[in-house]
Amino acid sequence: MLRAVLSRIFGTFHRRQLDDEFAEEVREHLNMLVERFIARGMGPAEAFYAARRQFGGVTQMKEHLRERRALPPFDVLVQDVRHAFRQLRNAQWFTVSAALTLALGVGASTAVFAVLDTVVLRPLPYAEPERLMAFRSIDRRGAPHPTNLSYPTFFDFRARNRVFADMVSYRDERFTLTDSLPAVRVGGEIVSFDLFPLLGVQPVLGRGFLPEEEKAGIHVVVLSHALWKSRFGGDRGILGRRVRIDGMPFTVVGVAPADFRFPLDNPDVQLWAPLSEDATVSEFTPLTEQRGARVLDVIVRLKPGVTADQARAQMDLIAGSLARQYPDENKNIATTWVQPELEQLVGGSRKPLWILLGAVALVLLIACANVANLLLARSIERAREFALRMALGASRPAVVRQVLFEGLTLGLLGTAGGVLLALAALQGVLPLADDDIPIPRILQAGIDGRVLVFSMVMAVLTSVLFSLAPALQIVRVDPSGALKEGAPNIARGHHRFRSALIIGQIALGLVLLVGAELLIASFLYLMQRDPGFRPGHLLTFHIGLSETQYNVAGQLAFSDRLIKRLKAIPGVRTAASGRPLPLRGHQMSVAFDIEEHPAPAPERPYSDMAIVTPGYFDTMGISLLKGRDFGERDDDEAPPVLVVNEAFARKYFPGEEVIGKRIKPGATNGKEGMRMREIVGVVGNAKQEALNTEPDPIYYFPYKQLSWGLGTIVLRTAVPPLRVEPAVRAVLMSLDREAPMYDVRTGEEVSAAAIAGPRFLMVLMGSFAGIALLLTVVGLYSVLSYAVARRRREIGVRIAVGAGRREVLGLVLREAMQLVVVGLTLGLVGAVGAERLLKSMIFGVRRGDVSMVTVACCVMVITSMAAACVPATRAASVDPMQALRSE
Amino acid sequence: MDRKGACYDTPLGMTKDRSEVLQGTLDLIVLKTLDALGPLHGYGIARRIEQLSEDLLRLNEGTVYASLLRLVQKGWIRSEWGASENKRKAKFYSITKAGRKQLAREAESWERISGVIGRVLRLESQD
Repeated sequence: MLRAVLSRIFGTFHRRQLDDEFAEEVREHLNMLVERFIARGMGPAEAFYAARRQFGGVTQMKEHLRERRALPPFDVLVQDVRHAFRQLRNAQWFTVSAALTLALGVGASTAVFAVLDTVVLRPLPYAEPERLMAFRSIDRRGAPHPTNLSYPTFFDFRARNRVFADMVSYRDERFTLTDSLPAVRVGGEIVSFDLFPLLGVQPVLGRGFLPEEEKAGIHVVVLSHALWKSRFGGDRGILGRRVRIDGMPFTVVGVAPADFRFPLDNPDVQLWAPLSEDATVSEFTPLTEQRGARVLDVIVRLKPGVTADQARAQMDLIAGSLARQYPDENKNIATTWVQPELEQLVGGSRKPLWILLGAVALVLLIACANVANLLLARSIERAREFALRMALGASRPAVVRQVLFEGLTLGLLGTAGGVLLALAALQGVLPLADDDIPIPRILQAGIDGRVLVFSMVMAVLTSVLFSLAPALQIVRVDPSGALKEGAPNIARGHHRFRSALIIGQIALGLVLLVGAELLIASFLYLMQRDPGFRPGHLLTFHIGLSETQYNVAGQLAFSDRLIKRLKAIPGVRTAASGRPLPLRGHQMSVAFDIEEHPAPAPERPYSDMAIVTPGYFDTMGISLLKGRDFGERDDDEAPPVLVVNEAFARKYFPGEEVIGKRIKPGATNGKEGMRMREIVGVVGNAKQEALNTEPDPIYYFPYKQLSWGLGTIVLRTAVPPLRVEPAVRAVLMSLDREAPMYDVRTGEEVSAAAIAGPRFLMVLMGSFAGIALLLTVVGLYSVLSYAVARRRREIGVRIAVGAGRREVLGLVLREAMQLVVVGLTLGLVGAVGAERLLKSMIFGVRRGDVSMVTVACCVMVITSMAAACVPATRAASVDPMQALRSE
Repeated sequence: MDRKGACYDTPLGMTKDRSEVLQGTLDLIVLKTLDALGPLHGYGIARRIEQLSEDLLRLNEGTVYASLLRLVQKGWIRSEWGASENKRKAKFYSITKAGRKQLAREAESWERISGVIGRVLRLESQD
């Protein structure tokens, strides 16, 4: 056995020599036979033929031995690949179109898979990621939902916990770096001390935080690798140095590794500081002492051997005892929630991404069908070649193998193109897309080993898929029949097969079209929905004001001066500030007590709130429906007032006159207790959450009565909003050189950002459907063209016996229509499935709305008919004389 | 041509089953020939088979070379270039030690089987 293999390996590398040797052996054998026959009295020519006869087929034997001598797979592989390349080179037009088609399909699949892999499939980039859990309280009000923790509650959990090795709180904050000008605003994270040990991450320089660094008055910071490189030149002497952040000296204790990111869903974070920042005493009660301020996310590491369920059971006990101890703040959060951190991070992205992958898989299938179609068309041209090869002694498996190899080569070409396309999409297009796409770590998606393996598998699978049809045809080829003129049998079989492919494509295409349409309709609905403010001619931005340099009074004064100066800029109509702006989600939710129906703290209603300056509603374009706007006189000395929106009035004071009603909100300035406030105005509903169907109730405070720092500045302009930006920067520079201006967005950008997620889905699904439609139409066109060419003679006869142009047109269009109708019928089933899958992702489209499917069918029919028109007119213009003569 | 029987895997135009039996038989004949007559070239082997079979076994002489290659690859025979009777270059094949062993095994099993088959056939003809 081994010997045979060795001999074959030798044979593989000495093919030429062995071939020559055998040729010589045969020549000699034949010579001897000839001599023998001559000796028996034959003439030389007769003897020559007799010798040949007696020996049998020389070429066949040579071929046979050649195959046997060398390693079959290897030898044949080299030969087949060489042959495949030759074939593909000789048919450039075919090769280019097939490879491009595949590249589109594989490129789209690869890109989507790369994103899915990075976002969903990859584990968290920390030590033993499977033991990292997200920890929250469960708020039982309304539908029970996980909610953030306050510092005091977090501290209690941390002190009594026995199931977690570490518990770390974290919250987003923004910091201003003022150690050199211009001042920059960077995202940061305020964390409890053991973040780095919890994640199992070692800073590349220095250390993480110490427990004692959680104490008020301590300012230490760990810098991100990128910030260290860009702002501090990668200076290794940075450790122990003081840098000015928010106007205060912070000691740099560490630099994080280059690829370190935390939290993963906030790519802006450039530095980490311990929670001492929240313990710092100022005019307000420190955040660390407000049990009602639920601002913290918590990540935990399970102790070895402890399950999530066991952990939750233990934490529930603690939560229960806290609820009894602090009923006002903790009564509604007496249970806890423990979920794998990965799930918490990417759970929401999983379904859309899998749906996208499913969609590109359909695109890929359609592309494969198209290539199969091209190959089939080609194999009809080549049927005679194959038959000839078989008649000459090529074995049937050898011919099938050749076709499969051509397919594989094509598949690899297409995949190479596809990977390049995917690379371009991921590196070129993805970063250009909105950074508001709410999918964590999407920008880290790239082509790595795993993705390449995926693409290679795609290449092999797809090439098998699309070569299968032609290969099957070959198995059925009867060489003697195929060699005859016309070879009608094969052609007919092929045509049926190609029609089936087209029907499949139309069915899949319809599914994609309906999916895309639903998302487009949903997106249009979201876009056209009245956000409750006028986003046109609006400029919004933030200013990083140092809280150490400005106390509350200072901030108010700064805000007054700023707004006054901004209003004076030519092109600016009005200016105001407010926080949070509409469409930024539920950022501040605060409970309140209604004067007429007082309730104990845990039973009080709660709602979104915002803090605004006078003129905010006018600037934003939020209409004042009743009562009055805030004025400059609504300050600390004046009676406390509020403005509410219509939804608030309707929800809490149904059928009553809301102006003059009094409520007592939990939001205070810290010094004094909660104050009863009178509602003085009602404004229109501005949406806090773009995707919500119902308007969100919200109540507004005048900024001088609730001074929680400077809000977002909003300008209503008479000119295109970005045109006033330089003047705004100049004003800011003249007021405070160290205060950075950041997050500059027009109102339209704010609106767009709020629906970036649906837009992302829609754009991708729309492109996929577009590609699918294009491929399907091209496939249909080629099948019909071929059918017309095949029936030229028949059409010629029809015209000759008096068929009119219209009948001939109808003939072709009818065939097209048949394919389309069967395809659409099959596709309807898939379309219903698509609608069901997408249900949770679409807004404003009634379930079971048939108009979507109708539109998709119409699109399919119209494009198909357009594609059919070209071959149909070609058929109608067949010259009967020529057609009849040509065969 | 019989569609079902036509199999293009065997260039000699035989059906696969028959050719497999024949392959083994031919290999045995070639091996025995080389054992009995010493080194021979392909032409010589073909003549010997022709002579022995008294024209009962007709085959394309090229088939011999397929058999020779199989035997060489199994290490039962070896080949070397030499001069033919007509002083021309020819490849001579000779049996190896492994080949003799194989021959003995094959011959023994052949005889046993042919004996059995012979008996069976006689039985049937008596019925």
